Amino acid sequence: MTVLLWILGILALPVVIAAVWFTGVFVKELFSPSPPDADQAAEAAEQLGLLPAERQDTEHAAPLPAPWAQALAAVQGGDWQPAAEVLRDIGRDWERRTTVTGLLGTLAAKEDAWLLAWEAARPEDPDAAVVRAQSTVYLAWELRGAKLAEYTTQEQFAGFRRTLTGAREEIARAAALNPDDPTPYITEIWVALGLGYPQAEMDKLWAEITTRAPHHFGAHLSALQYWCAKWRGSQQQAFDFAERAAAEAPLGSLLSVLPLIAHFEHDEPTEVAADNTPEMVARVDAGLADAAAADPEHPGLAQLRHLLAFYLHLQDRHEAALKQFKLVDGYVDALPWSYLGDGAAAYYCRVRNETVRAVAGAA
Amino acid sequence: MGATLRALRALVLLFGFYLLSLVLLAALVGLDIAVLTWTHGPAAVKIVIVSALLAIPVVQGMFMLRTPRGEEPAGVAVTETDEPRLWALVRELAATTGTRAPDRILLTADVNAAVSERSRLLGLLPGPRRLYLGVPLLTGLTEAQLRAVLAHEYGHFTGGDTRLSALVVRGRAQIGRVIGQFHAKADGKAATERARQEQASAKRVAKGKKAKKVDTGGAGATYRMMAAIYTAYGKLYLRASLSTARAQEYAADLAAARIAGRDATASALREIPVLATSHDFYLDSYATLGLPARLLPPRGEFFGGFGRLLSARETELVELRGELPTEPGSPYDSHPPIAERVRRIEALPADGRTEEAKGAASALLTDAQRTLAALEDAVLADEVLAFRRTGAWEELLDASMAEGLSCVHTPLHRALADYTGQQPTLTALLEVIDDGRLWRLAERLPLSEQAAAAKGRAFREFARPRLGESLRTMVLAEFSARSLLHWEFSWSRPAAVRLPGWASANTPGDGPEAALEAAVEAALADHPDTAPLRALLPPAAQPA
Repeated sequence: MTVLLWILGILALPVVIAAVWFTGVFVKELFSPSPPDADQAAEAAEQLGLLPAERQDTEHAAPLPAPWAQALAAVQGGDWQPAAEVLRDIGRDWERRTTVTGLLGTLAAKEDAWLLAWEAARPEDPDAAVVRAQSTVYLAWELRGAKLAEYTTQEQFAGFRRTLTGAREEIARAAALNPDDPTPYITEIWVALGLGYPQAEMDKLWAEITTRAPHHFGAHLSALQYWCAKWRGSQQQAFDFAERAAAEAPLGSLLSVLPLIAHFEHDEPTEVAADNTPEMVARVDAGLADAAAADPEHPGLAQLRHLLAFYLHLQDRHEAALKQFKLVDGYVDALPWSYLGDGAAAYYCRVRNETVRAVAGAA
Repeated sequence: MGATLRALRALVLLFGFYLLSLVLLAALVGLDIAVLTWTHGPAAVKIVIVSALLAIPVVQGMFMLRTPRGEEPAGVAVTETDEPRLWALVRELAATTGTRAPDRILLTADVNAAVSERSRLLGLLPGPRRLYLGVPLLTGLTEAQLRAVLAHEYGHFTGGDTRLSALVVRGRAQIGRVIGQFHAKADGKAATERARQEQASAKRVAKGKKAKKVDTGGAGATYRMMAAIYTAYGKLYLRASLSTARAQEYAADLAAARIAGRDATASALREIPVLATSHDFYLDSYATLGLPARLLPPRGEFFGGFGRLLSARETELVELRGELPTEPGSPYDSHPPIAERVRRIEALPADGRTEEAKGAASALLTDAQRTLAALEDAVLADEVLAFRRTGAWEELLDASMAEGLSCVHTPLHRALADYTGQQPTLTALLEVIDDGRLWRLAERLPLSEQAAAAKGRAFREFARPRLGESLRTMVLAEFSARSLLHWEFSWSRPAAVRLPGWASANTPGDGPEAALEAAVEAALADHPDTAPLRALLPPAAQPA
């Protein structure tokens, strides 16, 4: 009997040791989930005036101009007039018109009583029409949800397709009411993506856009999604599109962001070496020059800076990365963070704090 | 390993089934003797009782290997005087294959042909043979294709193979059945199976004249253990004999091609899965259409409509024939994938027999109409046979739809009753819509997780299709209650509803159906307008 106990005891020993060790690790993780030097980095970041994750705005990529913010607040209270005024003042500045249409469309996709009131008051208003079209497209994507196709239900797909199909009419109406405006066609790219337009159709749509606005930032971002491998194109097509558009665009148009996004969309997340090739360094340098030459009020500038900060960090160019982080801090609805949904702010802060620590370590 | 050797191995395994049982029984007896020799008292008695209980399934298992008797499917037995041409064909094929003709032909209602033999001594001595021939096959195949199917079945008796392989193939079927029965008893599968059958559609009521009684007793832990032993052994046997069985199928196909022609055999193989699918669809959508309303199609039409469906949907069938299943039904299925069988047959050299016997196989019957009527009597449950016969398919459709609509209870009905606490009428619904409370009502519909979580426009967009479906049904029920509705019957398309005022000149864009769609859409819009719907309703249904 005693021998048996001895044997059992010896066999049990490694098990007990393992159990104790696992419990220790578990308890440690439970009470301090991140290593202590991350806390130091967070503190250092805060001393530089950078904000913690919970104070980051996850709805926008950059602060909104005051009249825009007021207009958005007003429509949520049911008053559409300030929004109509903002769009009228913007006039033919297509870059800004597309941006504001997107902001208003996002709100109208949730609840559209104010938009219905606007349409009732001014039935032929092209501004209301373009917001209507944009809101329906956003509504369709909300019905689909952001999950992969295999986790999306038949009901969601049915609603998605039905709503996108309905949006085409509204897009055509908005385009007819303001024939020079590229925004309705840019909206249609997301219909093309969802319904799977053949590439010939996409080329036609693209021609409508580029004749109206050849270097439109938002249009290129949307079209690049269409050409990505995960949607209707391939890695090759996405890079071809991105490189050509970036090469043809004048400095300051911010289209140097496209090769960075093409790289990001087709990147294996574990492979760091791919972000450090001479080619990628050159792309980041081009982006830096582009950002320096751009209109500081350009609605797309923050998106470029977020990506620059990310890749500068990955290329161990921490000083330059920190400079970009400081310029965009506080607003994180941009690539590469936004795909993480609720985790976007935390992801952003982790990379930023890491950068802060690297800079402090080097000093 | 040669074919004969493989067959021999499988045969040894088949006898091993008995050996296994005997060893188990011997072990139990040995245990009892040992117990009785060395111990006495209540403990010994207990052990003996338990071992006796354990022996029961073992003995049962041994007898299960025998072909169960009295399992003949429902059908019409036809004699040589009834169907001389069919019998002549069957005899001729038997002679060509070099085997004995069946002693009995039974026409059944399924898409299947089978020859069974009540052989004795594990198939070593011949017994009476029966040919089961599905009438849907006669309806859907040409005479040449039918010859191919029958030649294949006979091919199993002669094969090009050894006598042992025939035995192995028969052993497979029996062991498969033993495993099935053990599973049914041990895993409580019987209970789920019965539940499934009970909630099954009217189709099964109609076909279930001789529904098998499922024995769910004796599902104890010991039973489960015995079942596990037999199942493991059975699977071993099935796997060991699989290649033999598949080779048998290929050999039978070759025999069929030789006797009935290459092209007829290949096309019959393509045709049978198509017929099976179509026949299921036919039973679901046409034959049993009236059962909930206790109605039957005209006499002889319950199975007779299938031929009309096949000719009306010929273009669809052509597509179906192109797509062959490439996977076997199960890893233990003795039949290789149809696609592979077709490929092998079509790879044979052309024999120039494409134009042989292209007439429908049903022409072999003396009086097809009489056979179809007799089949109904033989196959349908008595309860179903007592249902009222309608004069024509059109009448059956109209009466069934009217009956269905008269007691329809959509999710919207339930939501409305729940919300208003009143009778869920269309009038009440329109009032709720006019009061602007439609979306409050919609929250009470059974909704998917995503729909229930959605807010605002997204919620309305999720709920709208469901609301539209129910509302449309409620409106149609109003028309139907006043006998204002007509349904258009078609063998090639789903039934189409016809509202009053419909004319054949109407295009899909106008006419009362389009008006109904538009009115339903308006009533469920973000700013609902029930006026078009109210204008459309029959006067008596107008809210006061």
